Amino acid sequence: MMRRAIPETLLGSLPVVLVLALWQGLTSAGMAPPSLLPPPAAVFSRLAQQLTDPVFLGHAATTLFRLFAGFTIAVAIGVALGVLATGSRTVGALVGPVVRVLAPVPKIALYPAFILILGFEHASKIALVAADAVFPILLATYQGTSAVEPKLVWSALATGTSRRKALFTIVLPAALPSVLTGCRIGLVISCIVVFLAEMISSTNGLGHLLVYASRSFRTVDMFVPLITISILGLALNAGFNALRARLLAGFPEES
Amino acid sequence: MIAIEGLSKSFETARRSSHTALADISLNVAAGEFVSILGPSGCGKSTLLYIVGGFVPPTEGTVAVNGKPVTGPGPDRGPVFQEFALFPWKTVLGNVMYGLLERGMARSKAEERARALIGLVHLKGYEHFYPKELSGGMKQRVAIARTLAYGPSILLMDEPFGALDAHTRTGLQNELLDIWERDRKTVLFVTHSVEEAVFLSDRVVVLTRSPGRIKQTVAIGLSRPRRRAQLLVDRRYQTLVVDIERLMDAPEEAP
Ligand SMILES: Nc1ncnc2c1ncn2[C@@H]1O[C@H](COP(=O)(O)OP(=O)(O)OP(=O)(O)O)[C@@H](O)[C@H]1O
Ligand SMILES: [Mg+2]
Repeated sequence: MMRRAIPETLLGSLPVVLVLALWQGLTSAGMAPPSLLPPPAAVFSRLAQQLTDPVFLGHAATTLFRLFAGFTIAVAIGVALGVLATGSRTVGALVGPVVRVLAPVPKIALYPAFILILGFEHASKIALVAADAVFPILLATYQGTSAVEPKLVWSALATGTSRRKALFTIVLPAALPSVLTGCRIGLVISCIVVFLAEMISSTNGLGHLLVYASRSFRTVDMFVPLITISILGLALNAGFNALRARLLAGFPEES
Repeated sequence: MIAIEGLSKSFETARRSSHTALADISLNVAAGEFVSILGPSGCGKSTLLYIVGGFVPPTEGTVAVNGKPVTGPGPDRGPVFQEFALFPWKTVLGNVMYGLLERGMARSKAEERARALIGLVHLKGYEHFYPKELSGGMKQRVAIARTLAYGPSILLMDEPFGALDAHTRTGLQNELLDIWERDRKTVLFVTHSVEEAVFLSDRVVVLTRSPGRIKQTVAIGLSRPRRRAQLLVDRRYQTLVVDIERLMDAPEEAP
């Protein structure tokens, strides 16, 4: 495994290198004016400088906090409702239609309402992140838990475990691979949505920095938050995968 | 011990037609008796075990255990499923300990007892392996140990050696008989191997092709403890095997 991991990482970074090369090429060939597309070196040196700036780090921390808060709420609600919808006919009947109606609604359309109700600060952004991330998690949990081999549950019931207890100690762990797939999609969505929310209306956070820089036409400063959020996304994904590998230690290998 | 009265089971198929899997099964199994159910594939053997286990409700008829009607699963009846149904996220030790912890045993005591059972099925050294890291025969032994652990007085075994090679199979048959000699549980054992049924059982119940009815019950008067090497050259064993094979091949008289 270790032997294969290194070439795969190299292979995966190839497109990134190509994009950077293309970017560099475009700027040094003079095809794009530096005022519109600054050279990568300028962006990355600015990024390096910003990473030591407590103000910038404060914005990044704000974004990260909103992202985590929204994602955590989405996981809690999505997993709980998904499991309960499988375990109880009543919950399933109650949740099903609501999900079918709400899932395809662009949640960003709810953002003005969130702002009115929850204000301009953290709460409205966290709510938007949670509203967008909850559906893939809920659907993956519901599907995963309803596909669990009944004999696993029977094996538990035969020892005297109650149905309710088996729902959370057997059905949920058995569905973990699919639950985590939903969570991973939810995490990516959270990254996107938190940035979007901050771009639309915020006085802080990485998304706000981008909009602020673009209003004053500082292109280098526009790219810095963009690259920061993608690095954050990359790091979160890596962390998530490490956690996933630990949680799924006993499950058959799957991609 | 187990009293099955006029049991029938019909399934509603996806095409909305009714399909009878079991018809009019009546059978009494005494405490400490080893009874095998023999029949062609699809005749309802698994279904019968699931009903006795309380996992599936019958369409007609009743099952009573020690005079009490069966309404659901209970720790007096321990199933061992054809598909093993081990918990993939638990190690061998965790799987075997599960029922003990559910029965309220203290962790240290449960671990001690689980380790003893793992030794009993010759899996010492594999305590911390996950099911996916075991062979089919090893998984089957874990499943047996997991069920034996919480001490059900009735074992419901569904072709537990069905998917194994001949050598592993005879090995496990001997182990099962050894365990059974030790504490004489009541066993309902599903198989489609005539030799296996005769070797293990006090009585063999032969079912007809679908829908499964009781074709005949054959008492196996062979003395115990049984040794495979002696039985194979025993005329009475050979006659029983040949007779039951003939019985299974015989055309079914109209009900
Ligand atoms: N959930 C179900 N829905 C519809 N029909 C079913 C269902 N489960 C079983 N059956 C039907 O019941 C009959 C008996 O099935 P069962 O699994 O009990 O057979 P079996 O004797 O255990 O066969 P095998 O030896 O192949 O394991 C089959 O004809 C099958 O089609
Ligand atoms: Mg079967």
